[in-house]
Amino acid sequence: MKGSAFFPVLIILTGMNNMITSGQSLTASNIVKIADEKFNGEKSSISVMSMTIIRPSWQRTVEFKNWSLGNKYALTLITAPAKDRDQTFLKRETEMWSWNPAISRLIKLPPSMMSQGWMGSDYTNDDLLRESSVVNDYTHEVIGEESIENRLCYKIKMIAREDAAVVWGKQIRWIDKKDFLILRAELYDQEGFLVRTEIGSDIKIMDGRTIPGRIELLPEEEPENKTVLYIQEIKFNVTIDESFFSQQNMKNIR
Amino acid sequence: MKNHKIAWRNLWRNKRRTLITAASVFFAVFFALLMRSLQLGSYDHMFRNVIESYTGYIQIQNEEFKDDPTVDNTFEFTSEIRQILLKDKNVTELIPRFESFALASSGALTKGVLVMGIEPGKEALLSNINERLVSYRLSVKVIDSLKRSNLPEEVKSRLTLFKDESYSSESILQMDLGINDKEAPGIMPVIKRIASFSNGYISPGKEEALIGDRLAKYLKLNIGDTLVMIGQGYHGTTAASKFRIAGIVRLPTPDIDNKIVYLPVDICQSFYNAPGMLTSVALSIKENSDNKIKRMIASLDKEVPPPLRLLDWREMNELLMNQMDADNKSGGIMVGILYMVIAFGIFGTVLMMTIERRREFGVLIALGMQKSKLAIIVSFEMFYIGFLGILSGIIVAAPSIIVGQYNPIRLSGQYAKIYESYGMEPVMPFMPINYYFLWQSVIVAVIIGIAIIYPVRKIYKMKLVNALKA
Amino acid sequence: MIFRTAWKNVWRNRVRSLVVITSVIVGVFAGVFSIALMNGLIAQRVNDALNEEISYIQITCKEFRINYDPKLIIDNPEETISTIKLTEGVTGISERILITGMANTAYKSTGVQIVGIDPDEEQKVLNLFSKIIPGTGDYFAGESESNLALIGEDLANELNIVRYSLDSAVLLSLKGKGLPDQVIDKLVRLKGKRFTNEKQFIKEMDDLFAGAESKKYGPVIRKEAWSFRRGTKFILTFIDKDNNQVGAAFRVTGLYDISNSVFEKSTVFVKSSDLEMLTGLSKSSFHEIVVKTDQPDQAESIANTLAVKLPDLEVLSWKKLQPELAMMTDMVQQFYLIFGMIILAALAFGIVNTMLMVVLERTRELGMLTAIGMNKKKVFSMIMLESVFLSLTGGIAGMIISIIVIRITANTGINLSQYAEGFNALGYSALVYPKITAGFFGITTVLIIITGVISSIYPAMKALKLNPVEAIRAE
Repeated sequence: MKGSAFFPVLIILTGMNNMITSGQSLTASNIVKIADEKFNGEKSSISVMSMTIIRPSWQRTVEFKNWSLGNKYALTLITAPAKDRDQTFLKRETEMWSWNPAISRLIKLPPSMMSQGWMGSDYTNDDLLRESSVVNDYTHEVIGEESIENRLCYKIKMIAREDAAVVWGKQIRWIDKKDFLILRAELYDQEGFLVRTEIGSDIKIMDGRTIPGRIELLPEEEPENKTVLYIQEIKFNVTIDESFFSQQNMKNIR
Repeated sequence: MKNHKIAWRNLWRNKRRTLITAASVFFAVFFALLMRSLQLGSYDHMFRNVIESYTGYIQIQNEEFKDDPTVDNTFEFTSEIRQILLKDKNVTELIPRFESFALASSGALTKGVLVMGIEPGKEALLSNINERLVSYRLSVKVIDSLKRSNLPEEVKSRLTLFKDESYSSESILQMDLGINDKEAPGIMPVIKRIASFSNGYISPGKEEALIGDRLAKYLKLNIGDTLVMIGQGYHGTTAASKFRIAGIVRLPTPDIDNKIVYLPVDICQSFYNAPGMLTSVALSIKENSDNKIKRMIASLDKEVPPPLRLLDWREMNELLMNQMDADNKSGGIMVGILYMVIAFGIFGTVLMMTIERRREFGVLIALGMQKSKLAIIVSFEMFYIGFLGILSGIIVAAPSIIVGQYNPIRLSGQYAKIYESYGMEPVMPFMPINYYFLWQSVIVAVIIGIAIIYPVRKIYKMKLVNALKA
Repeated sequence: MIFRTAWKNVWRNRVRSLVVITSVIVGVFAGVFSIALMNGLIAQRVNDALNEEISYIQITCKEFRINYDPKLIIDNPEETISTIKLTEGVTGISERILITGMANTAYKSTGVQIVGIDPDEEQKVLNLFSKIIPGTGDYFAGESESNLALIGEDLANELNIVRYSLDSAVLLSLKGKGLPDQVIDKLVRLKGKRFTNEKQFIKEMDDLFAGAESKKYGPVIRKEAWSFRRGTKFILTFIDKDNNQVGAAFRVTGLYDISNSVFEKSTVFVKSSDLEMLTGLSKSSFHEIVVKTDQPDQAESIANTLAVKLPDLEVLSWKKLQPELAMMTDMVQQFYLIFGMIILAALAFGIVNTMLMVVLERTRELGMLTAIGMNKKKVFSMIMLESVFLSLTGGIAGMIISIIVIRITANTGINLSQYAEGFNALGYSALVYPKITAGFFGITTVLIIITGVISSIYPAMKALKLNPVEAIRAE
């Protein structure tokens, strides 16, 4: 859920169970690594998603199509609502660009522009561009097992390393034992206070993989705020070249 | 005979002494009034300028907006609200505004900007935006052409110092080029003609913008060019649009001038996807005394529906308030010091007068006058003198102040430039006659009252023998 | 001869003369002291700005200030620095790297100006190390630790890394400070609740307390409830020399608190060595050199000297960087000159009054003097001298008293904390150290003499007009 390969944050997991279970001992770090590599390891994908932003006095849904290559390149095309339609966003490594057909202008988005959350959601600049490694930046420990929606999960505590460039002090992840899906994550600040909860649900099979079809982001300090992401369609390992992720394509893609 | 009549006659028996004592009171009152008038006038001038050029005296806003000035904290300006506000007879106009942030882009340059959606016709009632439109610009071409004209050499040599500078005010242009008021009528018309900058303005419904001069220079844009802006709109939508630059303004504060963009309010609303919403409505009012404002807010606040609320200029300008407060206090101290000096002068005069009249008092008491009667008479004398002094002080100060209001002290040189760079007229105005006149008189009266204690005491403690020997 | 006579005449009516002299003393003292007070306030504001924010002289590449382009580093830094070192009047030099970036925590991110410094050198120029809130850090102590950052308290607040909490210890200490029980009881309701920035805390407090209570106890409660964890971690992100975005964890090594909150919110100090490593800039790459001079007044001329020695760089003194500051000093001095004049005018009238009385009283005597042949000019001069003696005696005494009082208060400072709020908001501190220059006293003396002279003109002329015959006959 962090350090996304896709733009915006997205969870895509493969179900290459065989590869995982053969010959690897399941330490906490390995579990996290496997779960992480399920989406970061994925070569490419094309997906159709919708994001609903919920606030105390209003609610809004944005629909988009997303192409991604590894976790460095992503192209997003907004398909709804009408006001925002045909806008595209391009992520190349740590840079973000925006194309707006209404003004026919390509603009490089400075990081400060995104301190408010992408498209008004709870996804922050940190979520979208920061490249932190869940595996390398934390130490891991299995602290239990719990069931979420009838799936038995490893409960793993992750403590950020001293020098790691991550804003979180601690994370707790519930990783499903069977498919290594991250069904729940709690993100804590440097002093161990909960700041955000992420919940994966609506597990279904798409393009042969088992993935959560719905991801919710719940900020702790504003209980009435929420962002929900729905994955409607997704195809994996499609052939896309790095050259696809270009400024030219931002204007042309439909 | 009545005591006060005796006192009055006594005054004129010794004209010289009376006049001299009254004179010291006169000068006290005169100087105090002048100084206070100047002080109050200056503060008034300064803060009115700031208030009147930006926030106005009263505004209505969404109550969340002040702490969190985002587009989501706007309110719908319905006709119902409009009617409630207009019902107050002191309100002459309602001036809508939509203020937010955006990213302006031109070529490879992007810059965070302040967007102000205004009602082009009405905004002039609130801020003096039309006075800020650039009228003259010393572009390279203009300088060349001016250098070839028959301007005096000193002026020509200064031209290059102000290359590319824009001016909304003729007087600053004149000052920058070192032209004094005498030479001006001969020289300025030529300069104005050649350096004249054809500017434009925005109108409702047109996708055009006014931008700050420094912003225009940074983005390398001129009138007729396109300004692209994107930002976050209402409820997180993306705001993105292009605007033709219709005009360029030059605001006094560089920090604002380098990021200000004015749009017509309806265009601004649709840019941020917030039709019918506003961040604030300023009330243009007839009478702007503190009391009136307080009462207006109290009554209107009750009638406007939540989440709206009314703010006064104090709340909207907290920093300015603190500044004024500190300034006022130090000004008060200054006047206080003046009074101390004056009080000593008056005490001194009274002291001397008492000593001189010791013999006179002694004789009177010896002849049978009661000490209390004498004390009362002397007190009356002092009060009359005080009254004469205060009255004459006011009579002389008042016209000076009135004249001063029409011909305020003009600052020149560096100070003038700095005042003007903040958008203020470089004058030190006098405060028109007001309550402070009364206060100063009261204070002087109190000083005299205290001064009387000395002669009265002396009278009571008088030992006849010593007095007669004096 | 006239001098002695005039002097003796002054003391003939001791009481009267003493009264005048006293009022002159009061006037002079009041005027001088209030000017000293104002000077002190302004000097402090200027000093604070110079020592906490902009320093005395800033040197950069010629185009650097336009866009703060990180590629514009100063050429030949060692040579440049030694040139500056050798210039007279320079007391501190600090080289800096300037990078814009973002500060991020789990709660917020905000744009910041990152300044890479050598902490020891920097101490000689800016005194932020002395503005660190006690208990929040040690100013880069422990050289082995890397990635330390000195940030402003306002920035910490903005990033939600400060804490307000009302635990038992805090409540106890508030009780000890004399807060009434009902206030403490209300606060107990917030016990255990955690606030990460000031706004949240104030909001809760406002809900609990009425306006007046809030105003009275608010500041004390806030102060006690505030805390900051030493070494709190946050992330700084910025662009390295190849335009790649870089992020690194930094630990806070102190929160500085100054009056300029804009500066405090946006300026983060880190070690140059850390920045060099993270950005890939070569050693000794600097964007800016700040210089401290002995006195603020010297900055301008030293800047000019340096500008000549360093023609490829832009050398700006603080007056050019913040002309408003410079203007403030000048303007206030002018205002106070006017104020001084007004006081002198008031005194002058007092003296005129007195001298008139003197003349009119001594009509007989003056008449006699003229009758026996004293030169009119001498009479005039005598009166004038008496007036001058009066004003000068009072003036000198007043100045001596002022000097003494100013000396004393200049050491201890005057506490204006009741007016503190207004002052603090402006950037003035509530503790004032009055100061006055020697030149000022010189001018004052001259002005006092002039006052004495002018005050005597009318009375002296009256004296001259006296008809000797009538005068002798007069009473």
